[in-house]
Amino acid sequence: MIRGAIAIFKRDFKKFLSNPFVVVMTLLMPVMYLVIFGNAMGGTISHIPIGVVQEGPPYNETPLFTNAVVELNHITQKDPYPKLLDVTVYTDETIAKGALSKGQISAVVIFPSEVSNDNAVRLYVDSADSIIPPLVESAVNGILAKIGAHNPVQVNEIYGNIKYIQFFGVGVIMMAIFTSTMFGGGIALIKDREAGIHEGYLVTPVKRTSIIAGIISSGTVRAFFAGGTIFLIDILITGIILRSVEDLLLVLLVIFIACIGVTSLVVSFASRFSAQQEYASTVAFLNLILFMTSGAFYPVIGMPDWLRWITVINPEYYGVHALRAIILRGQGLDVIGIDLIALLIFSSAMIILGITTYRRTLE
Amino acid sequence: MDIPVQNISTDKFLEKSGQKSIERDTAKSGTPVCITPSGESIIRIDHITKIFKEKNRTVTAVDDISLDVNRGEIFGLLGPNGAGKSTLIRILTTLLRPTSGTACVDTYDISNDPEKIRSIIGVCPQNSTLDVELTAYDNLEFYGKLVNIPDSALDDRIWQLLEMTELADRANMKVQTFSGGMRRKLEIVRAFIHHPLILFLDEPTIGLDPESRREVWQQILKLNEEKTTIILTTHYMDEAEKLCNRIAFVDKGRLIALDILENLKRLIPAGDLIEIGFDMIDDKIVTAIRENDLINSVQIKEQKLIISAKNGSKVLPAIVAIFENFSLPILSISIHSPSLEDVFIYLTGKKLDESNNGEKQSALKRQSL
Repeated sequence: MIRGAIAIFKRDFKKFLSNPFVVVMTLLMPVMYLVIFGNAMGGTISHIPIGVVQEGPPYNETPLFTNAVVELNHITQKDPYPKLLDVTVYTDETIAKGALSKGQISAVVIFPSEVSNDNAVRLYVDSADSIIPPLVESAVNGILAKIGAHNPVQVNEIYGNIKYIQFFGVGVIMMAIFTSTMFGGGIALIKDREAGIHEGYLVTPVKRTSIIAGIISSGTVRAFFAGGTIFLIDILITGIILRSVEDLLLVLLVIFIACIGVTSLVVSFASRFSAQQEYASTVAFLNLILFMTSGAFYPVIGMPDWLRWITVINPEYYGVHALRAIILRGQGLDVIGIDLIALLIFSSAMIILGITTYRRTLE
Repeated sequence: MDIPVQNISTDKFLEKSGQKSIERDTAKSGTPVCITPSGESIIRIDHITKIFKEKNRTVTAVDDISLDVNRGEIFGLLGPNGAGKSTLIRILTTLLRPTSGTACVDTYDISNDPEKIRSIIGVCPQNSTLDVELTAYDNLEFYGKLVNIPDSALDDRIWQLLEMTELADRANMKVQTFSGGMRRKLEIVRAFIHHPLILFLDEPTIGLDPESRREVWQQILKLNEEKTTIILTTHYMDEAEKLCNRIAFVDKGRLIALDILENLKRLIPAGDLIEIGFDMIDDKIVTAIRENDLINSVQIKEQKLIISAKNGSKVLPAIVAIFENFSLPILSISIHSPSLEDVFIYLTGKKLDESNNGEKQSALKRQSL
């Protein structure tokens, strides 16, 4: 009995060591979890863009306004950290609120005029984000206390009270797309390759472009089903509401384009791997990086710069951003247009990569 | 398509010896162009070499092979495992690029026109490429679409193939429920779905039971009747003997011999072996038998007379007559023609000394036992 156990142990261990790639990835995974999770989730948020407005008439800057702007501009969470807020002074309340609704700034602070009745400082926050509004609110309270002003603070959540589960649920749609592609599309592709089905394709006149186009489109439809299902579950569980049919169509469009992008990425990876194990460890790694930096959990603004660079090329970031804009904020194409363009550029690049890396011969 | 089926026995390319038959005029092989079909040969392989480089060793899988395959024939690539047969097939089916050398498949060059070649060939690789999770019908339909069969013709063609393989009643069953033989037959007709000019079968009966092998053979012969050139690799000698018009022996990447079966067998100088069992023998009999021109050698071993002759069945009556003349009874007679395997072993392994007939014979006998 012992002999058998030892034999199996030896055989398994030999196989483990014979694949250095998988060994490295196995060890690298927890390290990357530590680094990325630690940085993406625990980072100190700084440079939150906010707008300040002096209420009128008259539009003269009050001492409260002048002092508060200076203080807001210099406040930090803790001493050695960079400043918390990037303050832009708007002369008009409507313009400031417009910037807020387009997502250019995260909050607007409106200071009362000299003739105000209640002397209240009005704070408008982008409540679709669950981390930033409390920070801004406490900053405003903090500086008012510091300059000795006793004005009451009125907080207006411009998108209503959005719960964290709603904030996070949108991110999970992107995750569903990735995992369904990774396990469904990618593994299936490699299994087909292992089973020799691809060798069967290669001796037919079908072109490399057609092979990749076929694989990507089937993967996209599958991912779309997964993303759509999670979206439905989101509606049922987290209670998000869509405002119009137009919004629904826009959500489906974003999910669809994100599906093309993510599927193409996975296919271009999978078409280079011949062994499931190597592929699985690489893609699990990719999943980690892309999901963590997508902003699904935690605002990208809180990540260190090096990590934030990944978001620039991360399709999930654009997907999460666009979905939040539509679902939680009711924003339209004017805001998500840039996300769609980024997703399309990413998808095209990945399709081209997939086609060029797919081996037309067995070598 | 009207492809003339060649009469093998009049093949003017027949040559006497193996190695020499493949030597070609290399002077004009600067840049061979795959010109219009010459009528005779559908595949021309010109000094193809394939070297695989691994970490610290290089393997020459195909070593300077040149040969022609004639239109309409069943051409056999015969050799042991690892001889380079599959590599050569993969080069011809455009799955691998040769390290050097060229080949023409019909009018196309394997390096320049791989896509054109893919549309005129059908390939049944050594390892199954059927999707076992799909039904037989779906497998054929899928493949039919890959090879551009018009939708209007596809359904009829699929049923035709299913009838041909006697799998019509299982059309809608998943391939994973099929036996090895059924799968193989399905895969072979799948490769044939678009009436390819050339059908490549890489070890078509590997791992099959005798019954299934016979069925697959029937299938192959049936397809050849439809004027398809068939190239098959095998390491089963009986398969090559049964199916192939011409056989190429391949060993360690090199082409050793190429000819029709009868001529290959004639490569063995010893010819047929006749064994005659007796009770008593007279030296005069032996002398009389030796006088026959067709007989190479006569030996007495225990209670048997072992005769090596060029054409065993022809000389046998004469031998029997001699025994009768001396009124000595014959207890047993057996004729053993050299098998393809004997030829192969003769050509590859044991280099027999031409002058030493006796040794040659005993070696031959050992092999045939």
